[in-house]
Amino acid sequence: MIFNSLTFLIFAAIFLPVYFSLKGRARLFWSLAGSYLFYGWWDWRFLSLIAISTMVDFILGQKMAQEDEEPKRKRLIVLSMILNLGFLGFFKYFNFFTDSFVTMLQGFGLDPSVHTLNIILPVGISFYTFQSMSYTIDIYRRQLEPEPDFWRFATFVAFWPQLVAGPIVRASDFLPQFKNDRSWDWDRFSSGMAQVLWGFFKKVAIADSLAPFVDQCWAEPMAFTSINLWIAVVFYSFQIYCDFSGYSDIAIGSARILGFRFPENFRTPYFSQNFSEFWTRWHISLSSWLRDYLYIPLGGNRDGVVKTYRNLMLTMLLGGLWHGANWTFVFWGFLHGMYLVVQRLWGKTFGKIMDLLHFPKALKTGVNIALVYAFTCLAWVFFRSPDFSIATDVLTNMLSFEGFNFVSVMNKFMVMKGVLLIAMLLAVEVTDLKIQWGGVVQRSPVFRVASFAVLLWLISFFGTFGSNAFIYFQF
Amino acid sequence: MTNQQSNHPGIEQFYKMKNIIWVIAVLVLVFLGDRLGGWVLGSVVENSEFRYSRLYRNNADCDLLFAGNSRGLIFYQPYIEEKTGVSTFNLSYNGMPMDLAAALIKDHLDRHEPPKVLVLDVTLLDQRMDRRLLTGFNCYTPYSERLSDLMRDSFPNDYYAGKVTHLYRYNSEVFQRAFYYLKKSDEDWLLDRVISPSLQKDVENQGVFDYDFTPEMLESLAAVVEFARQKGVRVELVVNPYFPPFAQKIGNLPALKMAIEKSTGLPVHDYSNSISGVDGFGDYQHLNKTGAKEYLDRLMKDGILELPEDLSSR
Repeated sequence: MIFNSLTFLIFAAIFLPVYFSLKGRARLFWSLAGSYLFYGWWDWRFLSLIAISTMVDFILGQKMAQEDEEPKRKRLIVLSMILNLGFLGFFKYFNFFTDSFVTMLQGFGLDPSVHTLNIILPVGISFYTFQSMSYTIDIYRRQLEPEPDFWRFATFVAFWPQLVAGPIVRASDFLPQFKNDRSWDWDRFSSGMAQVLWGFFKKVAIADSLAPFVDQCWAEPMAFTSINLWIAVVFYSFQIYCDFSGYSDIAIGSARILGFRFPENFRTPYFSQNFSEFWTRWHISLSSWLRDYLYIPLGGNRDGVVKTYRNLMLTMLLGGLWHGANWTFVFWGFLHGMYLVVQRLWGKTFGKIMDLLHFPKALKTGVNIALVYAFTCLAWVFFRSPDFSIATDVLTNMLSFEGFNFVSVMNKFMVMKGVLLIAMLLAVEVTDLKIQWGGVVQRSPVFRVASFAVLLWLISFFGTFGSNAFIYFQF
Repeated sequence: MTNQQSNHPGIEQFYKMKNIIWVIAVLVLVFLGDRLGGWVLGSVVENSEFRYSRLYRNNADCDLLFAGNSRGLIFYQPYIEEKTGVSTFNLSYNGMPMDLAAALIKDHLDRHEPPKVLVLDVTLLDQRMDRRLLTGFNCYTPYSERLSDLMRDSFPNDYYAGKVTHLYRYNSEVFQRAFYYLKKSDEDWLLDRVISPSLQKDVENQGVFDYDFTPEMLESLAAVVEFARQKGVRVELVVNPYFPPFAQKIGNLPALKMAIEKSTGLPVHDYSNSISGVDGFGDYQHLNKTGAKEYLDRLMKDGILELPEDLSSR
């Protein structure tokens, strides 16, 4: 089930009243049943994966907490990792590694007859696997007590607002919230609803309006003039941002209505002045997960410069691979790793050069933001491309500057609409830095009413309602 | 609401009522704003100089009527009018599917004095044409029963969504164009650019191109031809030019022509390979302004755009 569908509206219309009319265990079972229905609507067969993963991690968590001997605890955590990463590896990466292995052997002149399997990728497997893994790792580290109630734990793993595309919620954040009062609350409903509507606007009005232009250009990059490719890359940067942050907003807002507080997942990432900052503003729940469960255990920045760079590169490469079984994702991660390394090497020197040139503060900020955005866009080219040949075509055509004029822009109406919507988004985000619209919505009922109405009008007038799936579902 | 407040039933009741009033306020505001916005945008559509606004304002009388998809836009009206001195009207639109073209042509013939000649580019008989374009014409459904029926049958969700929220009716590129052409003519809507060297090269890498046409499309075309003939309109079916290397990649053009000739009883004039200069093309499917003029000269020379002799009596 996807948020931007009629099915979801019907689901929410039934789920919410029943949820608030129930209490205690009944509400818990209703939440779990709703979550399994939400996921099973896509393909019920893969519910078994979530169920197995849930049961095994629950049992291993209990056993780990009861066990004092370190070697035994280690065996249990390794078992949990094997199971979780085994599922992920098989469903997401089996064919990728098989194909890559065959290609490598062919490079040595061998011709192995290896068959790939027709494997369906379960939606959201990367998200719920990481969520479930964080639970057992935290218990192993003795940072978390195991959840004694199986049904609560099962609801944590499968909770529908964030099941298929995050944010990746930690057990230590989520499970204690079951103890909170989660009865109906108008303020929580209205602030949650405001975030849901803002998320819908970003997804159906902005992301899905930019998508057709981007898709056309990427389908045949050499068939369009250079300026179209430049526009397509900028559009894609906002498409993926609005698509993913839109989903996160809907998830966070829905959870708030239900009485749960989810962590923020995006914070105006394109205003970042360096790449370290970018990764504290983009897909925050994943970047913090990778930091806590990969980068720091690898040594972080504690073991000297070279190892810090190695750890950064490894974290970003695996972060790239997490997104999908394709070398273009790995290369995207490689680029971001390189950006972080280069920034550590020369970032300060670059700042000093700007100081020497007496750049005013505003100009320095502008240059930094523009550079981070430009290099982020370069990486997006590889992220969006199905293979390196398409990515090369896109970049070659862009840099040819052939037909780089307004006349050569295809479908100017689509472009103008895209530019208008991006301008609206940026206007809200820039002013939000000072005004904090979320707070204004909370404080002023009149503004709340007006913002609901305006968002609904905008969604109605600009929205694209073709049930386009969210990009991050594939991850 | 705080616990203290909830301890007083009167205050609790007050807060509950207040919240319900706010919900009602939102719903009323959304509804009124939607209707007001719909009315304003509807006025834009009605007063625009965009071709379909003129069509449904009954302000599109002509001697020569043209129709097609984006390739039909090369029937460059200012040039034809300058050369022939007759009035023209073009119903073409990017990606126009056959059933939508049929509805628009019939609406034109019903609402205006019939033109002398209807020239139709038959390359719109292709399933790759965008049927979702129909939803873009939602803003014209209040003025046309045919469009309304077509829309309801093909895209009921969009049709009824347009009834529930009037703003949604104007959520399309078609409306954006109506807005853009609010005060100016849309007759100059034609490519100015010349096909780029990389695109010329890209044609070589293209595979065989086949039209994907269906019996329903042929029936729809035949019905339009018959409808026009009954109104006394001469119908000319043409295949507009392609970039020559691309024209050579078309596999089933003879089959398409044969099927059309069989279903309509009319000849199809094939100009698919009639313009040779690179400078005449904007891309490999479309002539630019220069190419369009050369092509129209050819059509005039071949008598396709020639009016019947009784023109002077009109």
